[in-house]
Amino acid sequence: MNNQSINLDVGQCAATTYTVPVGPVHPALKEPIRFSFNLDGERIVGVDIKPGFAHRGIEHMGMKRNLVQALYLSERICGICSISHPLAFTQAVENAAGIEVPPRAQYIRTIIGELERVHSHLLWAGVGAHELGFDTLLHLTWNVREKSMDLLEELTGNRVDYAIPIYSGVRRDIPERKAHLAYEALEYYKGLLQDMIDAFLHDKSVEMRTRNVGVLTYEQAVELCAVGPTARASGVKKDVRQDMPYLAYADMNVKAITPEDYGTETIGDVYDMIIVRLLEVAQSIEIIEFCLENLPSGELMSIPKVPALLATLKKASGEGLGRHEAPRGEVIHYVRLEEGVEEPAAWKVKAPTYSNLMAWVPMFLGDEIADVPIIAASIDPCMCCMDRVHLADASGIASERTKEELVKLSREKTRRICG
Amino acid sequence: MNVAQIFTSFKEALGSAYLEDRTIERKVGTVDPGTVYDLWITVEREALHDAVAHLCAEYNPHISVISGDDIGDAVALNYHFTVGWGERYGEATFTIRTVLPKSDLVIPTITDVLPGAQTSEREKIEFYGIDVVGIPDDRNLFLPEGATIHPWRRDLEEETAKEVKRMVKWETRDE
Repeated sequence: MNNQSINLDVGQCAATTYTVPVGPVHPALKEPIRFSFNLDGERIVGVDIKPGFAHRGIEHMGMKRNLVQALYLSERICGICSISHPLAFTQAVENAAGIEVPPRAQYIRTIIGELERVHSHLLWAGVGAHELGFDTLLHLTWNVREKSMDLLEELTGNRVDYAIPIYSGVRRDIPERKAHLAYEALEYYKGLLQDMIDAFLHDKSVEMRTRNVGVLTYEQAVELCAVGPTARASGVKKDVRQDMPYLAYADMNVKAITPEDYGTETIGDVYDMIIVRLLEVAQSIEIIEFCLENLPSGELMSIPKVPALLATLKKASGEGLGRHEAPRGEVIHYVRLEEGVEEPAAWKVKAPTYSNLMAWVPMFLGDEIADVPIIAASIDPCMCCMDRVHLADASGIASERTKEELVKLSREKTRRICG
Repeated sequence: MNVAQIFTSFKEALGSAYLEDRTIERKVGTVDPGTVYDLWITVEREALHDAVAHLCAEYNPHISVISGDDIGDAVALNYHFTVGWGERYGEATFTIRTVLPKSDLVIPTITDVLPGAQTSEREKIEFYGIDVVGIPDDRNLFLPEGATIHPWRRDLEEETAKEVKRMVKWETRDE
């Protein structure tokens, strides 16, 4: 694939295509991004993507706060992956400052990180069902998701922004009296998982709307540096937990899940993304179970007092990289510390949607406008992490499509093909 | 992972433009500790494209992100790649660092060898005012269309504050 094919300019489209803008309200998730689609009839022949409507300058703000304050800010980058950013950020700072993390803290970080994957993947599955017009499945999925949210609240005190990791360890323990709640939730999910797989993967209308829709080939995924379930659905066996283990993942054998694990041929379409995410829920449950059963005893923080921690960080100098496999893919934080300075001298955050942005283009090309919501939702985009849709029709006339109109088109297509 | 071999291949490919390298070994795991590696090399700006082309030809890299760092009279760019994905403990981070003086913020694009780098390169153009030569699309990505501020430049903080103030005033004006 050459660069031209992934950078079609709206202004250069032939007179036989027209431009339709969708946005600024997102057609799939309630976050802002603008797409400009070049259409030939109903077929998408070009797309231009403009993010940035949710850019809040968090890195800039973080570089004006001390490291502990910046940690809480990192937690507020995203409400859904609200532990993924702190996990990567703490690791980057710990690597730069040479701070050790006690084994028990590593396991607790892993448990909360995997619980986040369970709730995030189920959230996505519900959104996907809604985009297809299958609201019964949306409500079922989100009802099932509540169990993980309740457990997170029991273990951390919060449904989002858990405030668990801190440099050198974790802030809260998982006491014995709370562990039975976790086991109870795991049993609940184990009993329901096959039903979820049946509801999504054995449903004729879901299959008809997602098979061969939004295809990203293996080569495109590698070339465009896609991450997470978006890349794995295309057969790219890339998962930070497997490739470069960290925390408790180094004590277990985590495997990158691809559609092969379900026994089907890898196509790289939306259906494959459903397969990967549902199997990953099962994988997360196994990981949480392993962590609970093998939870080491010992301290929670190697530097328990915050003033001592701040003093240690102020003395540190160096660079560090922290990586975590978030529900949507690789999160990486780069930090540079300077001696005598409380703030990070440099901080760069990379969220998974940032890497998957380019992968959207080949996924949209060749598909219909009615497929826009499900394809847009398929990479599980997160604008607040990274940062509207604009369709362009064959005569070059721009027209706006609202989220409601697009969802209506998508639902009409489901009814049409299901007779 | 043969770190020495990787560094040697870069030294041979880049010659005197290869400035320095360092390896950070980290122990991970609590039961049976394993080792992971962070590899860093610094190259002259003129050799950056060759370094990335060599990396792409030999090691099938993934680009995570390009981070920037305003270090006074220059901007340091760290190209954070990962190599060796696909198997347990097979991957290492590989960062190529190059420094651009603020008087001449020009760097060639690497999108011709690794198209996935475009998002990150566009971000560096708008946030640092770097001229990325040869990039297929140099429009603002995260900043508003037409914005000419470079928010991550410490020497331009006053201009950024003034522009942000103007935009906030415009957004909150009485209709």
